[in-house]
Amino acid sequence: MGGIGIGSVCDVTGSQKKRVVILGIETSCDETSAAVLVNGTDLQSHIISSQIVTHQRYGGVVPEIASREHSLHLQMVVQQALDDARLGFSDLSAIAVTYGPGLVGSLLVGVSGAKAMAYAAGIPLLGINHLEGHIYANFLHHQDLKFPLLALLVSGGHTHLILFEAHGRYQVLGHTRDDAAGEALDKVARTLGLGYPGGPQIQRVAQEGDASAFKFPRAMLESDSLDFSFSGMKSAVLNTLNSARMRGETLSVSDIAASFQQAVVDVLVQKTLRAIERTGVKTLLLAGGVAANSLLRETLEKTMFERSVRLVYPPPIFCTDNGAMIATAGYYHFLAADFAAWTLNAVPGLGLV
Amino acid sequence: MKYLTIDTTTKVTAVALAEDGHLVGEGFLHTTKTHSERLIPMLDQLLTATAWTLQDLDMIGVVRGPGSFTGIRIGIATAQGLGQVLNLPLIAVVSLDALAWAGLGRTEDIVPILDARKNEWYTARYHWTPGAEKAECLTVPQAVPTHQWLEQLKQLDRPICFVGDAVAKSKEQIEAALGERAVILPEYVSLPRGAYTARAVWQRWSETGVGDRVEPYYIRFSEAEVNWAKKEELLRRAEHE
Ligand SMILES: [Zn+2]
Repeated sequence: MGGIGIGSVCDVTGSQKKRVVILGIETSCDETSAAVLVNGTDLQSHIISSQIVTHQRYGGVVPEIASREHSLHLQMVVQQALDDARLGFSDLSAIAVTYGPGLVGSLLVGVSGAKAMAYAAGIPLLGINHLEGHIYANFLHHQDLKFPLLALLVSGGHTHLILFEAHGRYQVLGHTRDDAAGEALDKVARTLGLGYPGGPQIQRVAQEGDASAFKFPRAMLESDSLDFSFSGMKSAVLNTLNSARMRGETLSVSDIAASFQQAVVDVLVQKTLRAIERTGVKTLLLAGGVAANSLLRETLEKTMFERSVRLVYPPPIFCTDNGAMIATAGYYHFLAADFAAWTLNAVPGLGLV
Repeated sequence: MKYLTIDTTTKVTAVALAEDGHLVGEGFLHTTKTHSERLIPMLDQLLTATAWTLQDLDMIGVVRGPGSFTGIRIGIATAQGLGQVLNLPLIAVVSLDALAWAGLGRTEDIVPILDARKNEWYTARYHWTPGAEKAECLTVPQAVPTHQWLEQLKQLDRPICFVGDAVAKSKEQIEAALGERAVILPEYVSLPRGAYTARAVWQRWSETGVGDRVEPYYIRFSEAEVNWAKKEELLRRAEHE
């Protein structure tokens, strides 16, 4: 058997639907999440089943265990989202699902489930790029955003500066050449014995620390580049800790955390400023798990205010992985009639463009 | 009663439409494409070919393992997604039980072997008594090193019929261990088929009459869990010493 068209089930133009109701499903990493969104802004329900506790004993996300957890929870999470919204599958306009990037086994649970649901409900399937989802989390509360936009996407897996020219049109201006910012924070947190996930732990202990206690390098790469590099900064922390250990000294964990966090934020802010200057964009969107970091937010608030650039970021719950952001991105795909085929597969290394 | 069955626990995507235990339509794909790409298009094509619609279905059957971890989850997520929307009961069967139907009518013991990597098989042992409703399970499903399992079977001193996706690759190893007592069925019979699942699902439905709460059946823990348990065990021992 070969590929089969999907035209038969996509009757969108035929029936004049007044309301656009999107079910969004996200399973790319360690959160099983589903949300029901009406007309792009009216979030009717939002369920997140987090696996953080399950993965804590391993010090990080274990892909096979993440997939197993998604498999056990997807159906229940979707049902809960529909029940909370007091809606059924027959009320939905389409189902949006993350198909990459992410952990392949985890993605496949969501993609398979979403595909089966959309096929059975006779509605379109929308394949959503997870990175796009993070950026679109900003549209949930801000309908008035005017293109072009600049997005700083920082998470455990990604550090991207993206020029967002119109719905669905992106240009990656810079990205990390090694570790993602969140990944570097996680690794340093682990070395400091702070546990997983590392970002929030670093932020917590950094509050009691002196950010100027240690001078960690700010890797700015070549002067004109918008790319990032966090692996050297991470190594500098590890070297500092090792040499102190050799000398028999104990260093203040909170000072190290605060200094490292400051270094990471400095690099993110400097590169973002450079991108703002180069593009002349007037609105900056902050997205991804690290967007919940308060030092980053506060520093950007101040820097952007000074330059009359509007800074927009989602509430913390929409910064980490969630189904609402997938539903929001899905809403715009739906309006553009950008539907996925039933052959949609998980693409773990999916890029933005 | 009309039903659909899905088996994605090996490299074969096997879909069947059946009525009261009788096969009506069957899809079998053993190509390099993934289950994720094939499954819904196959179902769509099979429905068209049989002139059935999803609304005709009364039940959905799915194979819940053992087999490929990812394959197990794709099958279950698909069956659950369809069942959730169509509000249909699900019936879950074990891959090895389903494969036992490949040996229906044979007098030898039926031993399905599925590739479990690391030189192991997912396997079990069955026997068909003439007139029986289903194969009797003589050795329960397990993941076992191939040479160890063949050694165990050798001790039994009886003819054994092998089926499953590991058969083709292991023909020589099996014959070397069991000689003439080994019966090896051709691939077109011994690979998972929708027809077998359709029988196994109908058998289970006839027995229980209610839907299952479907959970994956991996047999094996994930490696991270195994390593963690080992570490805990070492710590416990160290504390006792
Ligand atoms: Zn993410």
